[in-house]
Amino acid sequence: MVYQDTLQLADRGKGAYEITDLVADFISESGIRTGTCQLYMHSSSAALLICDTADDATKSQTASFLAQLAPSSADMDIRINDGMEAIPDNMRTVLTQTSLGIPVSNGKPGIGIWQGVFLWEQSADAAERKLTITVTGEK
Amino acid sequence: MVYQQQLRFSTRGRGTSDISREVSDVIHNSGIRQGICQVFIHHTSASLILCENADPTVRTDLETFMKKVVPDGDTMFQHTDEGPDDMPAHVRSVLTQGTLSIPVNDGRDTLGTWQGIYLWEHRTHPHNRRVTVTVMGE
Repeated sequence: MVYQDTLQLADRGKGAYEITDLVADFISESGIRTGTCQLYMHSSSAALLICDTADDATKSQTASFLAQLAPSSADMDIRINDGMEAIPDNMRTVLTQTSLGIPVSNGKPGIGIWQGVFLWEQSADAAERKLTITVTGEK
Repeated sequence: MVYQQQLRFSTRGRGTSDISREVSDVIHNSGIRQGICQVFIHHTSASLILCENADPTVRTDLETFMKKVVPDGDTMFQHTDEGPDDMPAHVRSVLTQGTLSIPVNDGRDTLGTWQGIYLWEHRTHPHNRRVTVTVMGE
């Protein structure tokens, strides 16, 4: 069977927000015990990532790394066209994931003990975000 | 129908291991003829890639590229409790894949002739890694 919904997530500003509990609740609601869960972000400047949950520094350091690789226009010593400010946000998103699949085992997200699912907002001035979750499998 | 199986791999430290055979065995065990196979790694310092399997220097070059993009011991990193390869391993995982989805057709994976599924260990020391393979279809 298939259980799907699109959720509206309020804008909380740039940063990584853990959504593991939200995903676990959705899987539990679906009643599916074994299968897969696909998360899809309807955006090109917000990513979905699985990160280490043991040390918060892992997330902040990943953010620093990506910021160095694709710096925001304000930090770049080059002139860019008007309206191109969002390009670094898109680049950081392209280098990560906007669609994420995880196993569903025993009615729960089948992820590692130190893994968490994060919504990673790359844009400083985003509106609310749409996330579609599809759980497929057997009860 | 759904078929799910856990696989365990012992890595020998940083580098890639071809796990195509093990994944293909799970598809075979499932009895599913047509559908999707999802491969998921339960770690944030090792990842999965689809990569060319004919010439091993492709993977050596990928390793060289990654070392350059995410240098071990880079002073920008603070999460270094487990050594200079600790934080780079997390970044390398984010830049590659934790999940792969492969079509299943005629009871087999539909990898291209020159494609292989690789587990990429990013830590320099050997680790035991867990992978869940879920096959769904008819």
